[in-house]
Formats: sequence, structure tokens, C-alpha cells
Amino acid sequence: MARFVIRRLLQSGVVLLGVTLVVFLLLQLVPGDPVRVALGTRFDPQTYEALRARAGLDQPLVAQYFNYLGRALTGDLGVSFRSGRPVTSIVLERLPATLSLAVTAVVFAMLIAFPLGVLSAIRSGSFIDHAARVFSQFGVSVPDFWMGIMGILLFAGVLGWLPPSGYVALTEDPARWASHVALPAATVGLVTASILTRFIRSSMLEVLSEDYVRTAEAKGLRTRVVVLRHVLRNALIPVVTVVAVQLASLLGGVIVIEVLFAWPGIGRLTYDAVQARDYPVLQGAVLLVAALFLLVNLLVDILYARLDPRITVR
Amino acid sequence: MSSTRFRLAGATFALMLVAVAGCTTGEGVDVDGADGAGAGGVLNAAIGGEPDQLDPHKTSAYYSFQVLENVYDTLVEPDANLEMKPSLATEWTTSDDQLTWTFTLREGVKFSDGSPLTSADVVYSYTRIIDGKLNTAYKFATVKSVTAPDPTTVVVALTAPTPNLLANLGGFKGVAIVQKSNVESGEVTTKPVGSGPFAIGSYSSGDNIRLVRNDNYWGDKPKLDGVTFTFVKDPTVALQNLRGGEVQWTDNLPPQQVPALLDGDDVNVRTVPSSDYWYLALNQARKPYDDVNVRRAVAFALDREAITKAAKFGLATVNQAAIPENSAFYYEYAPYRHDPNQARQLLDQAGVSDLTMDLMVTSEYPETVTAAQVIASQLEAIGVNIKIRTLDFAQWLDEQGKGNFDSFMLGWLGNVDPDEFYYAQHHSGGTFNFHKYRNPAVDQLLDRARTETDQAARKQQYEQVAKQIVDDASYIYLYNPDVAQGWSKQVSGYEVRTDRAIRFRDVALAR
Repeated sequence: MARFVIRRLLQSGVVLLGVTLVVFLLLQLVPGDPVRVALGTRFDPQTYEALRARAGLDQPLVAQYFNYLGRALTGDLGVSFRSGRPVTSIVLERLPATLSLAVTAVVFAMLIAFPLGVLSAIRSGSFIDHAARVFSQFGVSVPDFWMGIMGILLFAGVLGWLPPSGYVALTEDPARWASHVALPAATVGLVTASILTRFIRSSMLEVLSEDYVRTAEAKGLRTRVVVLRHVLRNALIPVVTVVAVQLASLLGGVIVIEVLFAWPGIGRLTYDAVQARDYPVLQGAVLLVAALFLLVNLLVDILYARLDPRITVR
Repeated sequence: MSSTRFRLAGATFALMLVAVAGCTTGEGVDVDGADGAGAGGVLNAAIGGEPDQLDPHKTSAYYSFQVLENVYDTLVEPDANLEMKPSLATEWTTSDDQLTWTFTLREGVKFSDGSPLTSADVVYSYTRIIDGKLNTAYKFATVKSVTAPDPTTVVVALTAPTPNLLANLGGFKGVAIVQKSNVESGEVTTKPVGSGPFAIGSYSSGDNIRLVRNDNYWGDKPKLDGVTFTFVKDPTVALQNLRGGEVQWTDNLPPQQVPALLDGDDVNVRTVPSSDYWYLALNQARKPYDDVNVRRAVAFALDREAITKAAKFGLATVNQAAIPENSAFYYEYAPYRHDPNQARQLLDQAGVSDLTMDLMVTSEYPETVTAAQVIASQLEAIGVNIKIRTLDFAQWLDEQGKGNFDSFMLGWLGNVDPDEFYYAQHHSGGTFNFHKYRNPAVDQLLDRARTETDQAARKQQYEQVAKQIVDDASYIYLYNPDVAQGWSKQVSGYEVRTDRAIRFRDVALAR
């Protein structure tokens, strides 16, 4: 197990190195000059050159990349073009907001998707099955920003139950955090729930048609036991992967939702960094997201072994 | 690009729904400030984006200056009519040759941390901008030296008479007086220390900036305990926050809703004409736009009223010159009536037919995207085919810098002195003359007016400049937009300013 984890971590290091290179090169292809953006319309050639030099953009690309890499190894991801602040702290500051939104959204999604998916599979063709399918079709096809605006107008506008936007840290005031996270998490969670519901349903149906399920039923086990012990447990394995991938992608920040709800997370940071061509911040954010993705995948692999003893980690 | 579409689409849906839903009354106000007698409360203000940084000399973002306006002081500052009035400097004298300006500083001014602000800080601030070639260095182009003979005297020596020196030294907070130790510690980017009515309390990246009252402020003490700026990008959401009482002030209002808000009575919304202007520029380095007749043809083909209606929902004043009516330098000149026949004749004279013209606009300023569609249909009527290129601002600026465009639409924001309206844009050596306009007579006038100390003569020279630029269609001016801001009924003492400076120093909050 320990060897497995170490090997995976080393592999992750190589992947991250690849990520830095790809991101760095891609950014060179994006049109738009960060220094021009920083100066805005007040353009002055002297100021322009001075700012370019301060940002290190006057150096050759190869030098820029290796300087970046060298510092990155020591945890220094450079400084933001826009604010002049260290990227490492900018990116880490945004993590709690995104983390709390992503986890809440996934929990919300699971609370909806598990009962709905399981019920619609074991009562296939029933009213609840149809309702679940309509729900998941709705969730994946309606744009999330539209749902977000509808949510704001209904819950913040008409009913006045929730604040329309903003963020309060969980550690600062849990109650106000909850009221602020509710709308964005529900918006993101609905989409995730739709995807999960479909997946759980089809995974359950697949297992339900297995021979050992028929055997279990033939043994005279109660449906409850069959579903919980034999079907659900086996159906869960692929579902774990999907939940993990969903969580990992939400950790990358839900750009549109974070921008809409003025949520200070990674997604909004990425959006602002792209607009300003703030390469160091963009690189830092992508690197962090890639690292989180790798970490979640590693945890999933370990979890697999727990769920299914036939899978061993070597 | 998609973000603009998303915002517009979102705003449209919201408009429909708000109309159905009606308005809700606000609940209690969420203020974090100290309670008790005499406490002024904390005003929550929603602005459309986050400042890139708070160093006044290094930022160029309007979002930064919305905050910094309340934190910093300049030697002089514009009043409501944009005339320069004493601030840190109480009086000033000019030498007979106009080359030496001597400023007397207010006695006993302190930074918000209690340390004294003296002439040494003024020298430090200006030297920092000039030597570091920082964003506002161009405002000090004629400054030879800045010295401090004693703690309350600053002497600015010039290489040439500079009649607009006061506007340069006080037009906006980009030339603010900063504290040396604050700059050297690097804290100026997130926790700047100024001498203004408020001080930075805390800055939570991506979320909010909290200002607290500066008890060391030299002027009348602000009535508010503090101001919290939050960053709400979506105007529909910002308006919802205002209506719901989450915020008490915003300038991020959905433009299409402003006319209805002006008539409504749930929130206060005011508009004033701004000193900004929006224009169309044709690239004179490319044929056939080097021909004045082609440019004039475009100017005659445009129906500015229609453009303004589409792009600004009527919240603007059409203007064929740059400087708005409320300025002392306003020059009434409107030779281009909407006349497609005249436009076609001018194109014939130039020998141009079947013209296809690129029009570069940016999603950063959605009004350019909307206006471009109207402009395209108007120019189609005279046989000019428009290809609209919508770019994000970074790419837009890149293309502009390289001269890769037939035409573009953009605006200039926050100009005060006529030199700022014309020199960089229309002088053949101007740093913003990307459309390559060149007229020796205009160059000469601009150089002369820049150093003309007789105000009447100066005004007259700028009128000549304005007339020539309009006749040459160097820029085809379209309109001066209004500034629209909204605040809750609890707020008193707030005034919308034409230069978009957001001042909360005299504001009170009823509770």
C-alpha cells in the first residue's frame, strides 16, 4: 500500500511537470499582452517597457519557463502581474471558498441522486422512474447560470429568504456561511445531481440483471437486503468514480456560478486572471487544480480496494 | 465573448422576471459596525469588479480608484464642476515665467496611522512616479524637479509652462500622496496608508475591502464608521442586493433598467452627464481611410441618436465633439447631420465603392458590441459592408497596438483638461494615436495650447483644435454617456460626480 502511494505520488509529480509545460506554452499562444491590459487605455511606451521589465516578460521564453519552474519547486509560484502579490498565497486564499462550495454541492447532489437513482432503478418504469428521468434531463440541459438567476430572483427577490450573492467564511460565521452557500451550492448541485441520478440508475439496473442477484432473490432474501447488500454495494464502484470526478472538477472552480454569485473561489480567480492575462496566477490556479485532481484520483483508487476486495493495489 | 452574451442574456431574463415579480421591500440592514449612540454604521457598496491592486501609482483599474478615492488625498482635487480646489495644499503661487509653482501644504496633516504627512512625502510620491516610469508618469512630462525647502512647502520646477498642472497633480487619485514606509514594506498593494477620510481595515481577496473611518483625517470627520466594498460582477445581482438591503450603494446597475429605476421609488437612482466620450476611429494608415472624404462619409452616414438609444438605452448625450456640455471647454460644433445621400456623394468623390470595413469592438465594454450592430446597418445603407470583430480586451489592445484594424470603437474615461482630450490621441507623436492621424496644423495648435497660460487664448486654441479634428474626422465622436448610480433610501449626502469619483466622506446612513 505504502509503495503504491509513493509510486503514484511520483507519477503525479511527472504529470504536474507536464501540466506546467503545457500551460506555459498554451499561454504563449493566447493573443493579448498582459502589460497592455494592465496599462489599459493610458498607454505610454516608456511605462510599457518599464512594466514589462518588472514582470520579467522581456526575458527569453526558455529562461522565463525555467525560472518559473525553479521557483515553483520551492513553493514560490511567482508574483501576480496585476497585484504584485505572491501567487501561492493568492491561490491558497481562494481554496476554502471553492472547497466549501464544491463539497456542499456534492453532498447536496448525493442527497438527491442516491434515493432518486436507486428508487428509479428498482421501480423501473414507474412514475418515480419517469420523474427522475425528467429531472435529470432538465438538470443537464438547462444552463446553470439561468438556474442561478432564477434562484436569486425567487429566493432572494420574491421570498427574501436568502442573500442574492456574497460570501462569508465558514470559520467566521457558520450560519451566515450556510445562508450564502445555499443558492450557489444548490445551483451547482442540481446539475451534478442530474448526472449522478442517471449514472446510479443505469449502474443499478446493470447489477440488478446479474445472475447473483437472481440467486439472492431465489434464496428468499428480502428485497431490502438484496438491494442494500448485493446490488447497491456493487453498483457503487463506478459511481464512486463519477462522484470523485464531479468533485474534482468542481474543485477547479465553477467559473460561471462563482462569477454570478460573487463567490471568491478558484473559478472566479481564473476568470479574472484570464481577462487580465495574469499568467502567473493562471498557471498557479491550473497547477493547484491539477494537483487536487490527482489527489482525488489517488484517494478513489485507495477507496476502490476498500469497496471491492477483488481489486488490490500494488 | 461568451461572458458578455451570458450577462446580456441573464439580464434580459432578469428584466422579464423582475417585471413579473415586482419589488420586495428590504429587510434589516446587515451592518457589522459598532452599535451605540453616535455610531454612523457601515455602508455596503457593490462595485462591478475587484481592484487589481491598491497601489494608487501602479493600478489603472477604475475599480481600484473607486476604493482609493476614499483613502488617499492629492495636493488639489476637482470639485463638482471639475475645477481644482485646495486639498492637501491650501494655496499655491506661480512664478512670472510660469516655470516654478510653489505649494503651501495644510498644517498638521497626518496619515491614517498617525504619522505626519509633510512635503517630503509629496516629493517622495512624485519622484516615485517619475523615476519608476509608473502609470501616471506622463502627467509629469514637463516637471523638471520637485523639492521641499521646508516641511510645508513644495516647489515644482517645470521645463515649460504647464497651465494644466493642477489637473495633472490632482485630477484623480493616481497621483496621490503615498507613505514611503508603506511602499517600501510592500503593503501598499493590499493595505495602503493614505491621509483620506477612510483607511483600509481589511482586504479579503475576491470578496470585499473594508474601510474604516480615519480618525486622523484633517477634514470634517466622516459620519460613517466605515464602508465595505463588495465585488458583484452581474448587474442584475447587484441590483437585487440593493433592493434586498444587502448593499446600500451600487454603480453596477443593468442599463436597460435604469429608466424604470429613475421613475420608481424603491431606491434612489441618479444620473449625471459624464466627461467620458465614445468614438469611432478609422485607421488612416490604411487605404481608403487615409482619404478625409471616406471618413467624412462615415460621419455623415451615422445616426447618433439611434446608436445612443441602442447602446446606452438613451442614457447618454450625443456629441459630435469630445468635450461635454457641462465643461468650461465645451465647444458646440455639429457639422454632421444624418445624411446618407451626402455620405454616398463623398464616397463617390473618393472613388470608393464596394467597401468592406472591419470594425473592432470588445466584450469588455458591451456597449461597443451593441453599437457596432447599429453602426453596421447604418453604413450598409451607404454601401459600406461592415465586418464586426468582437474580441476580449487583451486581444483588442494587442490588435490596436499593432495597427491591425480598419476601424474600432472605444471610449475615453475620466478626462478633465482639454489636453487630455486631444494631445495623446490626435498629435502625430501622441502615444494613443493608433489610428495614425497627422495634421501639422493640429500638432502646432496642440503644442501651443499645452503651454498657453492665458486661459481665454487657450480655450480659443482648443476650439480650433476641436473644429479641425471634427472636420478631419480623426475621431468620429458619438456620445457622452451618463453616470448612473443607485443607493438606498437610508443613504443621505451622496452626490453622483461627472468624473465618476466615488466619495463617501459626507455620506450618512439612517438606521
